Amino acid sequence: MAYDPKIVAFCCTYCAYSAADLAGSMRLQYPPTVRMVKLLCTGKVEPIHLMKAFEAGADAVFVAG
Amino acid sequence: MIVGTRKPFEEIKSYVNGCEKILVMGCGTCVSVCMAGGEKEVQLLASQLRMAFEKEGKKVQVDEETIQRQCDREYFETVKEKIPQYDVVISMACGAGVQMTAELFEDRVIVPALNTTFIGVAEGEGVWSEKCRACANCLLAETGGICPITICPKGLVNGPCGGTNHGKCEVDKDKDCAWTLIYQRLKTQGRLDAIREIHPAKDYRVQTTPSKIVHRAYEEKEEA
Repeated sequence: MAYDPKIVAFCCTYCAYSAADLAGSMRLQYPPTVRMVKLLCTGKVEPIHLMKAFEAGADAVFVAG
Repeated sequence: MIVGTRKPFEEIKSYVNGCEKILVMGCGTCVSVCMAGGEKEVQLLASQLRMAFEKEGKKVQVDEETIQRQCDREYFETVKEKIPQYDVVISMACGAGVQMTAELFEDRVIVPALNTTFIGVAEGEGVWSEKCRACANCLLAETGGICPITICPKGLVNGPCGGTNHGKCEVDKDKDCAWTLIYQRLKTQGRLDAIREIHPAKDYRVQTTPSKIVHRAYEEKEEA
């Protein structure tokens, strides 16, 4: 079975999330295993948010902002 | 405030291997400010432990708690029923807090998660430096508010010594010469004469271990 990593993305609503939104309007595709968490600002991200994502089973976490 | 740093994860984990119920307990005062043992650090350590045990296939319950101060017994009121339910408590307080916890819950194993490092000040975000060695005989009035016991690696009460080198110390060239700093400070204050005064040898008898202080207002109560 192919490795299909679960990825959690913490995205800033003003840039990365808007980019993802635009990707949607442009019908660009990305894997459904990327789960996005919209934040008002990625400055709010604390290390524990990343740890909780890993604890919940994420294989990778990224912050985009 | 008291400044500490977290021990390596493997060391902390080695204290609790084999336990099934673990409480990670933080302290909301000094070590919280120096980002070593407050609520956020408790969350991170607990999360790390949960993942490490899960990876090993062990079923271990790791809970979190942070009290305002672990060096003051009244703050334990909120956790006095909870602590006895755990096999081990990982205290993220300074050494004083760990010992207070261990004294209050004698039948529980209390282990430290931090190395208590010094009494110091915040120099900027994320930077702390040592300022006081709690010598019980403060000299700061005569040294322009710079402590030679702490800042001078040799702890000289009269200086500078022959090892001063362009404002740095011969012991460690990255360290400032305390007595050069004192000279400059006294010069700024127009008090350079003070550096000519010879201080007698420091009375280390007052620096007994363990020290204890009873406030005058409480002396009778202590005796009773």
